[in-house]
Amino acid sequence: MVNKVGNQTERLQPAKARFSKRLKRFYVKSAFWPPLAAFAGLFIVWELATIIFQINPITLPPASAITLEFFQSFSFYISHAWVTFYEAVLGFMLGLSVAFIMGIMMAHSTVLERTFLPLAVLANVTPIMAVAPLFILWFGFGTLPKVLVAAIITFFPMLINSIMGFRSIDDNHYEYMRSLHASKAEIFLKLRLPNSLPYLFSAAKTCVSLSVMGAVVGEWSGSSRGLGNVIMMSSNYSQTTRMFAAIFMLAIMGIGLTNLIRYIERKVLHWHMSVNN
Amino acid sequence: MESLSYIELKQVSKQYRRRGQVTEALHEIDLSIEKGKFVSLIGPSGCGKSTLLRIIGGLVEQNCGEVLIGRSSPQEAQKQKQFGFVPQSPALFPWRTVLQNMQLPFEVNRKATKQQADREELIKLLEMVGLGGFIDSYAKELSGGMQQRVGIARAFGSSAPILLMDEPFSALDEITREKISYLLLNIWEEYQKTVVFVTHNIREAVLLSDEVIIMSPRPGRIQAKITIDLPRPRTAELEESEQFQHYMSDIRYHLRKEWQI
Repeated sequence: MVNKVGNQTERLQPAKARFSKRLKRFYVKSAFWPPLAAFAGLFIVWELATIIFQINPITLPPASAITLEFFQSFSFYISHAWVTFYEAVLGFMLGLSVAFIMGIMMAHSTVLERTFLPLAVLANVTPIMAVAPLFILWFGFGTLPKVLVAAIITFFPMLINSIMGFRSIDDNHYEYMRSLHASKAEIFLKLRLPNSLPYLFSAAKTCVSLSVMGAVVGEWSGSSRGLGNVIMMSSNYSQTTRMFAAIFMLAIMGIGLTNLIRYIERKVLHWHMSVNN
Repeated sequence: MESLSYIELKQVSKQYRRRGQVTEALHEIDLSIEKGKFVSLIGPSGCGKSTLLRIIGGLVEQNCGEVLIGRSSPQEAQKQKQFGFVPQSPALFPWRTVLQNMQLPFEVNRKATKQQADREELIKLLEMVGLGGFIDSYAKELSGGMQQRVGIARAFGSSAPILLMDEPFSALDEITREKISYLLLNIWEEYQKTVVFVTHNIREAVLLSDEVIIMSPRPGRIQAKITIDLPRPRTAELEESEQFQHYMSDIRYHLRKEWQI
């Protein structure tokens, strides 16, 4: 009596097989259980490996010790994570806004695009690690240089995707707007902008975790706070447990931010083909 | 308003230049379309019928000759939002619901007409094309035929007195196509707007039109004009009539003259 609509073959299966099939479907579709299983598996393998191979805790502390350290000094990690978090998010938003505005200009003017895109490419190919110390020199040890590093890392993919999104409009849509004698501004607001959203979100999903990396790189170059600073300091004092706790904090931040963007994307782009399937 | 919806083309030619080579897309077209008439342009691919439609709609400019929409140029008429364009693909904006797509013509170019979209009127039109239950649906939830029905309803719902349709049914399967041509017939008979309809389907041309303009390619020119003198409202039974078949073979005859086999 599990379900009445089951087809012939399904009804012929023994109850046990049917149950495992449904369990599998539930598991695969769940957003929560599969990652949890993966993390639990990693935790167990890690823990056992450190015990069985008797690894020096300074090289690789047991997973349980890292967890314990994290919860014992919870407020310590949270306060440093908060610093890195707002540096990354501010940088991300700054990079996104500048890229968006430049994208609008470049999508409308080939002259601007041909002139300024090489500069953007230059900024993109220069290793950010190399530039970060310079920013510290210029802007001091405060928040600003970290925000700038995060912004620069975010800028390029956002720029390229916004230009692409504004440009790659359907010819039929464009011609339809022209037949109504729509102005350039109307074509931008009602056609190019909504058309660019899928491109912008797809760039934002990668950029938001890049911005966390940018903030950490900024902190490495000179800082007194933030998870990048925690990693740097614990590396100097061989506090491997603390280092791992900070690394996991960063990973969680990356996952959280990417999922936040993904959530907003699903809300905003419900009309788009790629959402829902 | 009376004189505005009258389309007149005199000696219109259009050439395209590509890498020094000149292709003549249209050669000395003379054409006049009365207000409230349904006129089809039929011909093989490359006969310039789509170009002709776009010249009338002010989307493409002719090289020589004169085009008048009422007393003004196509560009001026376009500025006044005189045209409802139905492209080959329905061109529904995927981020808008069906009703929001219907409202789009009212939202842009507000200088021309201050007219607001009449929600009730638009819903009535959607019901006429059998989409009363899809007002808030998005394009991805509709089939190709349903999308094109919205495209047609959108054109009739707008304030434009002249509708320009560029092979609107060409992407649809034969059965859907037949059904939609009757839908178009019904709406048109109620709204009586001037329609210029580009097609390469002979049955469709005869069924819908007051006049069929047969075009031939290289260079694109008008080969014959046939007035379809069939009673309206036109019905499915009419399609079986001898008269209907006669018009169809007449058009086919003109189109075959070009074959030179």
